[in-house]
Amino acid sequence: GHTDILVGVKAEMGTPKLEKPDEGYLEFPVDCSANATPEFEGRGGEELGTEIANTLYRVFSSESSVDLKSLCINPREHCWVLYVDVLLLECGGNLFDAISIAVKAALFNTRIPKVRVLEDEEGSKEIELSDDPYDCIRLNVDDVPCIVTLSKIGYRHVVDATLQEEACSLASLLISVTSKGALTSMKKVGKGSLDPESIFEMMETGKRVGKSLHIALQKILDEEESLGTSRQKVGFLG
Amino acid sequence: MPLDPRRVRGPEESQPPELWAAAGEVPVEEDGAGEEEKDAAPRDPCDLRPLFARAGLLSQAEGSAYVELGGGTKVLCAAWGPREAAEPGAAAPAGTGRLLCEFRRAPFAGRGARWRPGSASEREAEREAAAALREALEPAVRLARYPRARLAVSALLLQDGGSALAAAISAAALALADAGVEMYDLAVGCALCRSPGPAAAWMLQPGEPEERRAVARLTVALLPALNQVSAVLGGGQGSSPDAWAQALRLGLDGCHRLYPVLRQSLLRAARRRDAAAAAAATATTAVATA
Repeated sequence: GHTDILVGVKAEMGTPKLEKPDEGYLEFPVDCSANATPEFEGRGGEELGTEIANTLYRVFSSESSVDLKSLCINPREHCWVLYVDVLLLECGGNLFDAISIAVKAALFNTRIPKVRVLEDEEGSKEIELSDDPYDCIRLNVDDVPCIVTLSKIGYRHVVDATLQEEACSLASLLISVTSKGALTSMKKVGKGSLDPESIFEMMETGKRVGKSLHIALQKILDEEESLGTSRQKVGFLG
Repeated sequence: MPLDPRRVRGPEESQPPELWAAAGEVPVEEDGAGEEEKDAAPRDPCDLRPLFARAGLLSQAEGSAYVELGGGTKVLCAAWGPREAAEPGAAAPAGTGRLLCEFRRAPFAGRGARWRPGSASEREAEREAAAALREALEPAVRLARYPRARLAVSALLLQDGGSALAAAISAAALALADAGVEMYDLAVGCALCRSPGPAAAWMLQPGEPEERRAVARLTVALLPALNQVSAVLGGGQGSSPDAWAQALRLGLDGCHRLYPVLRQSLLRAARRRDAAAAAAATATTAVATA
């Protein structure tokens, strides 16, 4: 297809949120670049950007998706904040699926350096970053869900719709599925309404498709991981 | 509300004392939680809390509605339309009208710290709720009958006692119908949530403490006469599609049960309006003859 997404994860030190003092958190700034479609020029892409960001927040709001406790350094004082920057380079339909796949792959690839907290005599804490660049913690992305978009066209539904198919469909259902087949969130988008029976069908299809998507993605990520430093860096977009 | 620079607005970050009380492990909190548990335990999950709906109460708006749920959720909604579209043909296709939704929370609505009336996080939450409201109402309104026009709906949440978005959807649909906008059907909203625990069941119309403790939430909006779902919005801890399907069925059933209440309030509002118009007509004829 013609959808290109670039996701970068940056880890920064911050203070934990008040309601969850012993967990880190993720932030999702989304940027729709003007290269994607001419409508995104200037402020045009902001509405879509906020919609994508809100969807990502909702998908990752469930506690079981990412182990946030491992991001904590000092309860109530320091924690890792992961800024997951999503950049839309080319828009060819089925944005949410591609974005969630990219986010999962980026989180899998994330390496957060290990820190040690040293206590001074007065009680003030100092954070020490380990010198070894390979000494880092990796995130466990087994439970990170992937979004599957099912667009209703006529009486049936399609997965992974292209731009033309999306134009024909009046309503779509976004489901986020974990690798074990559990649905973590759902949202209906579009101007039309959905029949309750078709929603049940869509959920079953989404679970099936989601599971196979996770398996394929995990295989590719493991392959890339095993290649290590000998991996040829192909120019992306190629 | 314009910000008054002379008023002392307090510190930038204010935190509710309950968070620090939990850290100190005050035994009084245990008792409070225990009492809540005792009250919540015998609740039937399919039980719908009483709903009060009244249409046609604002004099300045073409259509208005007020919905109150048993737990204390109060939503006031006003609708205007159709008006001429502000930007001609810029964003919307020229053939259909546009539905603009706005969702505001009163600063005293929630239970936690007072929301600063201009803060970014509040604007984000309001925009998200407004988008969800628009998703739910668009299938119900016959926008094709209002080309190049815009219909505005504004919802104000006065008190959040759980199931706020669902109440707002019902109020907004009622307000649009009261304004005389052509619609396919009334959109009825219903919220569900699931409490933590391995075998917890889904509960209809949760109250505020239940919603706070919940691990998964779902809001559905239904067009009951057509049996079409106009909005589904949910998230939380993962469960199998069957569990979500069961929750959806429970929600749709709740929507069907709430539908007659909303229809009745609309009929009453129409009758009241007719009576008022008739009384005004007889008064003017009396003045004219006298």
